[in-house]
Amino acid sequence: MKGLNKVGDIVLLGLSSLAVHKVRSGLTAMGILFGVWSVIAMLAINEGASYESQQSLRQMGSDNLLIDSVKPSADESGAAQARGVLNYGITWSDQRTLIDNLPGVVRWTAAHRTQKSAQNGTKLIPCQVIGASPNYLDLGRLALVAGRFVSEADQTLCRNTAILTVSLARRLFGPDDPLDKVIRLGGESFRVVGLVDQPSRTMAAVPSELAMNLIFIPSATDKNRFGEFTVINTGSSRSRERVEVSQLIVQLADEKTVLNAAKVVRSLLSRSHDKRDYDITVPLELIEQRAKQRRLWNIMFFTVASISLLVGGIGIMNIMLASVTERTREIGIRRALGAKRRDIIVQFLVEAVTLTTVGGLTGIALGFAVPPVVQTLLKIPALLPAATMIIPFLMAVIVGLISGLYPAMRAAQLDPIEALRHE
Amino acid sequence: MMKELVRLESISKRYVMGRTVVTALDEVSLSIHEGEYVAIMGHSGSGKSTMLNVLGCLDKPTSGRYLLGGLDVSTMDDAALSDVRGRRIGFVFQSFNLIPQISVLANIEVPLFYLGMPRPQRHPRSSALADLVGLGHRKDHKPTELSGGQRQRVAVARALANDPLLILADEPTGNLDTRTSQEIMELFDDLYRRGRTIILVTHEDDVAGHARRVVRLKDGKVDSDSLSARGLAESKAAQT
Repeated sequence: MKGLNKVGDIVLLGLSSLAVHKVRSGLTAMGILFGVWSVIAMLAINEGASYESQQSLRQMGSDNLLIDSVKPSADESGAAQARGVLNYGITWSDQRTLIDNLPGVVRWTAAHRTQKSAQNGTKLIPCQVIGASPNYLDLGRLALVAGRFVSEADQTLCRNTAILTVSLARRLFGPDDPLDKVIRLGGESFRVVGLVDQPSRTMAAVPSELAMNLIFIPSATDKNRFGEFTVINTGSSRSRERVEVSQLIVQLADEKTVLNAAKVVRSLLSRSHDKRDYDITVPLELIEQRAKQRRLWNIMFFTVASISLLVGGIGIMNIMLASVTERTREIGIRRALGAKRRDIIVQFLVEAVTLTTVGGLTGIALGFAVPPVVQTLLKIPALLPAATMIIPFLMAVIVGLISGLYPAMRAAQLDPIEALRHE
Repeated sequence: MMKELVRLESISKRYVMGRTVVTALDEVSLSIHEGEYVAIMGHSGSGKSTMLNVLGCLDKPTSGRYLLGGLDVSTMDDAALSDVRGRRIGFVFQSFNLIPQISVLANIEVPLFYLGMPRPQRHPRSSALADLVGLGHRKDHKPTELSGGQRQRVAVARALANDPLLILADEPTGNLDTRTSQEIMELFDDLYRRGRTIILVTHEDDVAGHARRVVRLKDGKVDSDSLSARGLAESKAAQT
């Protein structure tokens, strides 16, 4: 109890000697402040950025596999184009093989995509027409804004119904309500029955200028009216492409079966395709990859920011050494009046740790400003997990202990007689 | 006869300076009893500073035995010596040696602080001591705001804070003018009358004249050890 009391008093003593040199203490603490702040800022930005990419991947569904048809590169496609038609991508037979052989398939959906122009009155807008079945709404992670999606009745009756993305609807209809209006598409009339939000991820190989302009129609209608050919106009020449299945989305029982299923898909497709005309996306793999990447970045950011903390620590050590020299006589007086070496060490350590603690706490307080500032200035998200706060703070305290220890030991080792004579 | 407080048995202190060995104290034996007022005199280089450091447990003798209040301090380690200084000795230095950044009361409390006395008990004690040395109206001043004489009074109050066995004063009037010196010496006289044991290191005869016993050092040895005029008068008065 007596010892505890004394420690408390020595802490107060340390604090009061810092108060004597307010400017010097403040500047020294600032070194730590910026160190802590930069650690927090870097961690927060990295956490935020990776959180965002994780979120968008999670939206694709971690229990999903996405297989897209991709136009092979020019040199690979040369042979297939001999008859004037470029055949590529996933075939119906691929689709059957995959669905029959994949373990743990819960649901699946296939979509077919062609490039057409949508017309309302005089407005003609190039767009992607996607023949989809009713469950594409769910599996393709589309968000219905108004009306309805493709229905079973649409499918059996091969109705000419269309669901537009909100942005396309706005471009075709302006401020008017597009529902129940009719648009022209590939020489046919389609009734608009629903609106969906722009999907976060569409299909591989959709030209980016068309990614906003999507029209979903019943897959049965698509097959009947338009077939699987797409006519591509490139300048003067016209070429024809034929794709049976543009996108296949398979939902599996759980995350554990996803990675295994991905392996099966890869081996099956590589057997039936001699060129790379498909693309497999495994959101779960990407999520794991990103997590790994995030850890690496965290380590790097952390290392860089720690260096600034280290510089702050050197500043503390420097000031403490100066302080010891300056207060040699005081140390001598205290020693003569009964202070043990240990008491002197504690006194100087308290000063160093106080400097870093104050710097650290201020750094954390400023750290709270990081997410809003980063979000408004850089337009990237930032997150502040608890560890982001605690780790730099503990580091600051440890830096204080380490950088205070050597000067404190020097002070304690002074000979009281010499110290008393010091001018 | 009062209890023996300081007992030096063949104390020697030698320093190695380059290749030569300097003997600062050479087989000094001395005994000082409780309540004595002793002046240690000598020219510079006579060993009186070393004597003071040894007596004050700031320095360890090279050989010999030093008993302070019956406790052998000549073999103690640094921490134990610090403890002895804190509990048994009160220092008054020539250059006052106050801590400039803290108040008069805080300075007086420094020894109490290292004894581990809780704050609520320290305060009334330091306050009473400030009153005792006549600085009741300067308690919250910083040492830099005080005159030399006032500073030395603070130092005396501080030396009394831990209720020491022994007060060691090293040229306490060396930095003071004649009048202030007189005041400080009267303060010591007063302490002596209250029964304090005082050892004074000085080279000034009139300062030493306040003591009852004078020990002269020469070349690290005790040259003479006798009663002063006041000491003689006191012992005569006691005999009659």
